[in-house]
Amino acid sequence: MIAEDQLLLRDGLSRLLRDNGLDVVAAVGDAPALLDAVAEQRPEIAIVDIRMPPDFRDEGLRAALRIRSSHPDTAVLILSQYVEPAYAAELLADGRGQVGYLLKDRVFDVADFIEAVHRVGDGGAALDPQVVAQLVSQHRRGSPLDRLSDREREVLGAMAEGRSNAAIAQVLVLTIGAVEKHIANIFAKLDLPPSESDNRRVLAVLAYLQQDPQP
Amino acid sequence: MVTRVLSPLTDRDTYRRLLFLSSALPLGALWFTALVTGLALSIALAITPLVILVVVGLGVFVQLAARAECSMVRGLLDVPSYPASRLAGPPAGIGPLQRMRAVVTRSAFWKAQGYLALRFFPGLPLAVALLSLFGAGLFLITAPIHYRWIPQDGGAHGLDFGIWHAESLGDALALVPVGLVLLVLAANLVRPLAALWGRLAYRLLGGRMTDDYRPLTEAQLRHSVRVHGIVIGGISTLLIVIWAFTTHGYFWPMWPILPLCLPLAIHAWTVQVVTRPELVPARLSRGFMVQAGVSAIFAAFFTLIWAFAGFRVGWGYFWPIWPALGLMVALVIHLLILRVSPPDPELERRIEVLTTTRAGAVDAQERELRRIERDLHDGAQARLVALGMSLGLAEQRLETDPESARSLLAEAREGTREALEELRDLARGIHPPILADRGLGAAVAALAARSPVRVDVSVEGERPSPAVESAAYFVAAEALANAGKHAEATRVDVQIARSYGRLVVEVTDDGRGGADPSGTGLSGLRRRVEALDGTLQVMSPEGGPTTVRAEMPCE
Repeated sequence: MIAEDQLLLRDGLSRLLRDNGLDVVAAVGDAPALLDAVAEQRPEIAIVDIRMPPDFRDEGLRAALRIRSSHPDTAVLILSQYVEPAYAAELLADGRGQVGYLLKDRVFDVADFIEAVHRVGDGGAALDPQVVAQLVSQHRRGSPLDRLSDREREVLGAMAEGRSNAAIAQVLVLTIGAVEKHIANIFAKLDLPPSESDNRRVLAVLAYLQQDPQP
Repeated sequence: MVTRVLSPLTDRDTYRRLLFLSSALPLGALWFTALVTGLALSIALAITPLVILVVVGLGVFVQLAARAECSMVRGLLDVPSYPASRLAGPPAGIGPLQRMRAVVTRSAFWKAQGYLALRFFPGLPLAVALLSLFGAGLFLITAPIHYRWIPQDGGAHGLDFGIWHAESLGDALALVPVGLVLLVLAANLVRPLAALWGRLAYRLLGGRMTDDYRPLTEAQLRHSVRVHGIVIGGISTLLIVIWAFTTHGYFWPMWPILPLCLPLAIHAWTVQVVTRPELVPARLSRGFMVQAGVSAIFAAFFTLIWAFAGFRVGWGYFWPIWPALGLMVALVIHLLILRVSPPDPELERRIEVLTTTRAGAVDAQERELRRIERDLHDGAQARLVALGMSLGLAEQRLETDPESARSLLAEAREGTREALEELRDLARGIHPPILADRGLGAAVAALAARSPVRVDVSVEGERPSPAVESAAYFVAAEALANAGKHAEATRVDVQIARSYGRLVVEVTDDGRGGADPSGTGLSGLRRRVEALDGTLQVMSPEGGPTTVRAEMPCE
């Protein structure tokens, strides 16, 4: 399911998803049509643009939040021309997975993008590196993040994007064992309760990053 | 060479231009008569309200005449078209006095009058000279045909040139080449003269449309007085020289010089009052001062006329007392009106502020558009061109060299991402999306989140109008950026609240101060805020702290 008002992008995205073995059940151009289509088709995942007619403001985001409350089975991946950490916070506020927030640029790296679609559809999270970078940089002098080593901060960032241990290891060129060790250190340094599932771990990190940054 | 000299004779343009130049014969005379009548009437009626009627009428006449001239210049001289609206009348729905003001304060009015006067002199003599030259040429060429019918003194027929008579066919035939030379000379003179005239017309009737609505600068006003003075001084000197070489006796040049000096004196005094506000006493207005000066000038004018006229007949009855009394009465009435309703300095100041801020707003907008154009041109556009090239190359090499095609494609993908990044930054600089979506509070909080220093944000009240909201956002953004970049601040406090119908944005940091309020960032912001009728203050003592405070009206 795709909701995107620009025809070129909508068609391009459909083609890209179909080429990668995904089934696009509907492609719509505005928020009301999106809500109707979701209610009717019950897709696994809806890929939604933020700005859509008629107001060209944040109706995509609001529609996404409604989908999350009315159809919890449908995962939502927001694709936008710009990212705002505040919007990410709203999307993640309910503490569940099945959510993603990426810049449209990420589509260029097709393999990475398809991987993110699968991850969100399977109940995980995908957060744009820019959002994560902004969240991390909000924590200023004197915050517990200062206690992390540079490597640990990189791992934290990759984790916040929603990647699994294996993916983190691949991206940062580490062994899985080393990643696990870093993650254990991070959790210890930030006083976070250890958690087994990837998803809950991501949410814990994000929740930590989003709390009031003032020490 | 020969063909070049002869070609104007057969060129249709020559005769179109000649038609234009010779049209000065009737038109120059007509314009001059009308202008002299109008100006004389307005001087004569200067102290009565009728002058308004005369001046407005003159304005309409000048406008119509200039339009007619414009279309002739365009049609016959092929000078590029004129902005007709430049000569449009004053806006409708204003009082007679404002209407008169609107007429006389426009430079187009005076320039057009200058042009119309030039049609009389040197336009009219020039037309006479050119037509005579053509006529003489034609007359001489046709001499062999008509010489025998031209009667001469003493019953004979032929042409008489004083020292030489053409009485036979041979004589007449000898005149033909002379006539040809005259004709060729005349035809060759037409084009350069017309070109000169076209340039003159373009200067006086054409030019940039906007110039007319821009208030003249003080320097321009003073310059106009100087030019006026030089012209009048030149004419006066010429007349006095003529007088000195001819009559000696009765000083007749006084009669043209006196009326010539009258407008000059009024012009000079008005410019003095306008450019030197210290000449206007606190409780009086500019208008009063102009009227007082003009009244004095008229009184002096009449007294001088009386003196010169009565010089020979023993002065006689002092009639200037009557116009002087009339002027005094008008002045006293003006003074009384001022006493009853003194000029509102607040209102005058407000007009000045509005004039400058409006200019600033237009300026700021222009600069902003230029910056965006430049950014688009240097950034996204250039990247898209490079992208297209990479893709084209990749397509070419797809078969032969798939490896390099692949790397070109990767390059193209990276280029696209960079172009997007740039466009995103540009869009954020014009109007951040979050501001449109969520309003000032969320947008400033997002700003604060991106800032490297600690920022406390407090935003109260409903959303203001989009223009005010956006200005408030950019005030906060610029102040935050400065705090982080220059002031080495560690804490910034952003407060946005409404108070008494105004939106107040206050950004205080604990940095080292010494901010320059005239820097490009802050002065651009100031123009933006002032365009919304707001104020921007920067308090930044050396050593800090710095406070930037903007207030804008919002309902």
